Amino acid sequence: MTAVTDQDHTDNDQTDNDRTDHEQTDHEQTDHEQTDHGQTRNDQTDTDRKNSRDGRDGRDGRDTRDSRDSPGAGENPPVGEQAQGQAQAQPQGRVDAEGRGTVEDPAKASCSEPRSNPGAGAGAGAGTEAGGTASGGTAPGAGGSDPGGDPGGAWDDGLIARRVSEAAAAEQAAAMETRVGGGGGNALPSTPLTYDGPLRSRLDALRELVGLSRTRLDSRTLAEAGRVLDEAAARRRLSGQHTVVALAGATGSGKSQLFNALAGVNISETGVRRPTTSAPIACSWSDGASTLIDRLGIPGRLRRRPVQSQDAEAQLRGLVLIDLPDHDSAAVQHREQVDRVLALVDAVIWVVDPEKYADAVLHERYLRPMAGHAEVMFVVLNQVDRLPGEAAELVLDDLRRLLDEDGVALGEYGEPGATVLALSALTGDGIGELREVLGQFVTERGAAARRIAADVDAAAWRLRPVYATGRRSGLSEEARDEFADRLADAVGATAAGEAAERAWLRNANRACGTPWLRLWRWQQDRRDPPTGRLPVRAQADDEATARQRVEQAVRTVSERASAGLPTPWAQAVREAAVRGAQGLPEALDQLAARAGLPPGRPPRPGWWPVAVLAQACMTLLQVVGGLWLLGQIVGVMAPNLGVPVLLMVTGIIGGPLVEWSCRLAARGPARRYGQDAERRLREAAAGCGRARVLDPVAAELLRYREVREQYGRVTGVGAAAR
Amino acid sequence: MVTLDVRPQLLDALSALRDRVAAARFPLPLAGAPRARANRDELLAQLDDYLVPRLRQPDAPMLVVVGGSTGAGKSTLVNSLVGQRVSEAGVLRPTTRTPVLVCHPEDHHWFSGMRVLPRLTRVWAPHQESADDLLLPGEDGRHELRIETADTLPPGLALLDAPDIDSLVADNRVLAAELICAADIWVMVTTAARYADAVPWHLLRTAKEYDVTLVTVLDRVPHQVVSEVSRQYGALLTKAGLGHVPRFTVPELPESAWGGGLLPATAVAPLRNWLVHHVQDPGSRHYALARTAQGVLDSLKARMPELAGAAASQYAAALRLTSAVDTAYDAEYTRVRGRLQSGAVLAGDALKRWRAFPLDCTAAELLDALVESLAALLLCAVTAADERVDDAWRREPASEAPELTDREASPESTEHRIGLAVRRWRRELEEYAEDEVRGLERGAAPDPESVAALVATALLGGRRARSAGEGLAERIGAHGALRLRDRAGRLLTEHLDRVLHTERERRLAPLDGLEVHAEPQAELIAALSVLQKER
Repeated sequence: MTAVTDQDHTDNDQTDNDRTDHEQTDHEQTDHEQTDHGQTRNDQTDTDRKNSRDGRDGRDGRDTRDSRDSPGAGENPPVGEQAQGQAQAQPQGRVDAEGRGTVEDPAKASCSEPRSNPGAGAGAGAGTEAGGTASGGTAPGAGGSDPGGDPGGAWDDGLIARRVSEAAAAEQAAAMETRVGGGGGNALPSTPLTYDGPLRSRLDALRELVGLSRTRLDSRTLAEAGRVLDEAAARRRLSGQHTVVALAGATGSGKSQLFNALAGVNISETGVRRPTTSAPIACSWSDGASTLIDRLGIPGRLRRRPVQSQDAEAQLRGLVLIDLPDHDSAAVQHREQVDRVLALVDAVIWVVDPEKYADAVLHERYLRPMAGHAEVMFVVLNQVDRLPGEAAELVLDDLRRLLDEDGVALGEYGEPGATVLALSALTGDGIGELREVLGQFVTERGAAARRIAADVDAAAWRLRPVYATGRRSGLSEEARDEFADRLADAVGATAAGEAAERAWLRNANRACGTPWLRLWRWQQDRRDPPTGRLPVRAQADDEATARQRVEQAVRTVSERASAGLPTPWAQAVREAAVRGAQGLPEALDQLAARAGLPPGRPPRPGWWPVAVLAQACMTLLQVVGGLWLLGQIVGVMAPNLGVPVLLMVTGIIGGPLVEWSCRLAARGPARRYGQDAERRLREAAAGCGRARVLDPVAAELLRYREVREQYGRVTGVGAAAR
Repeated sequence: MVTLDVRPQLLDALSALRDRVAAARFPLPLAGAPRARANRDELLAQLDDYLVPRLRQPDAPMLVVVGGSTGAGKSTLVNSLVGQRVSEAGVLRPTTRTPVLVCHPEDHHWFSGMRVLPRLTRVWAPHQESADDLLLPGEDGRHELRIETADTLPPGLALLDAPDIDSLVADNRVLAAELICAADIWVMVTTAARYADAVPWHLLRTAKEYDVTLVTVLDRVPHQVVSEVSRQYGALLTKAGLGHVPRFTVPELPESAWGGGLLPATAVAPLRNWLVHHVQDPGSRHYALARTAQGVLDSLKARMPELAGAAASQYAAALRLTSAVDTAYDAEYTRVRGRLQSGAVLAGDALKRWRAFPLDCTAAELLDALVESLAALLLCAVTAADERVDDAWRREPASEAPELTDREASPESTEHRIGLAVRRWRRELEEYAEDEVRGLERGAAPDPESVAALVATALLGGRRARSAGEGLAERIGAHGALRLRDRAGRLLTEHLDRVLHTERERRLAPLDGLEVHAEPQAELIAALSVLQKER
């Protein structure tokens, strides 16, 4: 029984170089390069240790840039110390590691190159950055132009990437066979993780969503989404060939026991003393996972190797197992560790025991919130040896029921979901089954992507209240019309129109009225005070617009527009409306003064001169008839009563008749004139309101709709529709 | 040490205090409110279930509550102590859903009544729960307590098998806490796998805080590790300041596990002996009882001020909410007055009508327009005030109370109310105008409606309606015009005040409905000080 500490701490700054090498390897399909590297590696294993100082120095510069991605990198003690400590603890381990070290690993082989060649290092660094910022095909040509230098940005984007990863997978399968045949070869080429198309587009959508909403939402709301994005980017840069699985559970459930049983070696301390494990321990079944473990912040002295055995190796190749401290003991820092690591691993095995499987802490604090991660979750009922006979089945069923109540999908009948197993780490019952399931799970290599997908789901769900309300939103046509109506009210369009109509009618009547009436009215005017008699246009009122009506109109329309929007966006819409409303009353004031009445003299209908002429004729007839009669009375003219009386009567009756018919005829044009005046004012007010309030509101709504669409894409609903 | 004689004054003070606690409400969702509510319920449970009955009847049997985590083997332990299967034990968690109380047949009358645990319905039929197990207790909102008698128990001792303190069923947790509060002696059961769990330790710390008579049992310890685990546990207890607590260890036996069997009497003998000794020896019994009672009484000193503090912060929050409403409405009131002064009502439609009056516009139309404009001004003021209130309340966590958030959102009804008020003002104004016109001699009497319109214009139009005043004076004389204007102005102010006041009251009504007052704080403290004096 031997346990070996994973040696390759220098991997932290090699990921890009790994990519470089693989690009070359995969494209050129040459084997001799690998052998070259293998030989170099032999020489360098020792040099690396001696120069560990330099190595760290070289890495520090990178760490500052990459610290976001691998938070644990800084915690690593100097490599030399690790090597020493572990040499004391496990004397044989060293030898074993050396032996394994001789096996080629292209990833490690190149580790000294960038250091000796600063230019290459810079190139690789640039590659990393491009990889970090590239989002779904933004840098597709980089790999082609400089295949050796920085393929990182274009590595897993687009068609080439897919082809490459397929090729890589095929080659790996082949390599695996040869290595198993050759014996002792357990180093996986650490190809970075690739996400499939839908997940990548969802991540891109989430990134865009966060970018779009930064101005509207506070950073606290977006923190979770940002974390998911960061983790997804960080995980993508690390090995896709490894699956990090954590063993989590309550104190005394036998996590460490199971850990040891899986590793086949007594790595993690077990005992009756509670809580036993106080810091996470990692065990990697193959090389190239050290960056992953770095990310978890597990120091080198807590990294182990499983016992050497061919079939176990083959079965669990690519597995990185993490033994976690408990989550329910009185030691609070344990819980913090668990929470931190659980956010970073690819999958979790929840270890429960018959005594504690129904603990509220487990279900309420962990399983319910993580129900969406069912696909990357195993629930293992440990210590079944303590249960008599069929009780194990009962408990297992009860556990399934509880999980179901937690909302955890169970992976039964071929459906995706959590795997539930019963086993005993003590007697070894069921360990084989777990190994098998785990092996299959690891071979699929989908856990990391599924975990990220579940994370995105969870983040999207948590963001739901700020993006979706399930109600219809938007500004309806009626609301717009109502707004225009209210503004028209505010400037007094209706009243202005009516006033104009009546004034026109009055003028028409006056024009066509009998001169006697006009004379009488003129006299009347002179006697009366001039209250309200002045023409509307003569007086330019300041604040002719009803401020309160404008305010109310804006408030109503912003309320209508923001109905059905999540709070932050509703606030934004309201602010846009209020901003637009500033200065709106003044603008309406000017407008009312300018567009109140049609310019120029009021239009006159064509028949007007005729009517005036007719009226004049009637008056003339009256006068002529009157004069004629007067002449007869005086005796100047021959007495003929009939004709002058007829003339006068015609004039007297005809005058009002003409006036009356003119009044009837003028009604139509008067209404047209009034309506015209009203329409002009109304349209001007509506145009002003549209430009100042409705358009900004609509723009804000459009922005929301965009974000909403983006959110739909994040949740995966939109992705299917595209 | 307090003696456990019946002391009426103390009991009176205690029940007064209990009523005060029961009356305390924490309806506003402040940060500390859920905790205060839980504290209040817990305190109430402790007073009702334990302290008052115990002080009233010191001779009642000693109630020992067995509590602990799920799967710790509480039921098995109780069964073993009794010597027969009284409580269901099993492998499925949580096992015990209905608490079971076991006592000697002679003591049955102590527990059959509502002396202790008055909130639990007694269930008489033993062993029938398997038949109607489908209806889980607590589902219908009330809990049950099954009472069993066993003559293997010594008289004067009652064992209560409580549900899990960390049950997945939240209701069970509450019930467990309530039951534990009712105990004279707390028996905390934990296991070899659990003794470092956080939840039981929380309970242990509570026990220490109340200084109750506490016993811990380390159950289900595998034989091989008995001494080591026991030592570990002892060390942890000592570290927590509970080193003096009696500690019993029960090994894991095949029977103990999953059959619900009874442990051999030898396995639980030490615990049983300890309990029997405390029941039968008057000195020990007195000491144990007095200590728990004393501890709970002492704990009041810290818990009551905490409740009082929570009540005070509730009141402060309610005050803040109220003052936000007041500020908003006061500000809007000032704004409306200012606007009225400056003649904002005579704008838009009304202004156009006024310009056309009397040639192209009738008095009725002018009045209509003015009234509408005034209603718009008031509605605008009220909605603006509401908006300010919303803004201010958004910063207050207390405004999240459901009673405050789901007020009917109907600006239409506000509009309706304001419309009514304004129309009433118009009607009264017209009556005034008619009064004034009636006094004039017949011939020169102008149309009362145009007089009303002119008064309204003069009142609402500010500076730009100066000519309205002149016209009015011309029509009904300077003296009459002045009088009419004054009366109408007073009427307007009156209506304006009434409208804004009504709206403010409507806004405050839900908050008033919560009945958050300043009194509970003082009352709680006063009740505590009375109690302290009586001890």
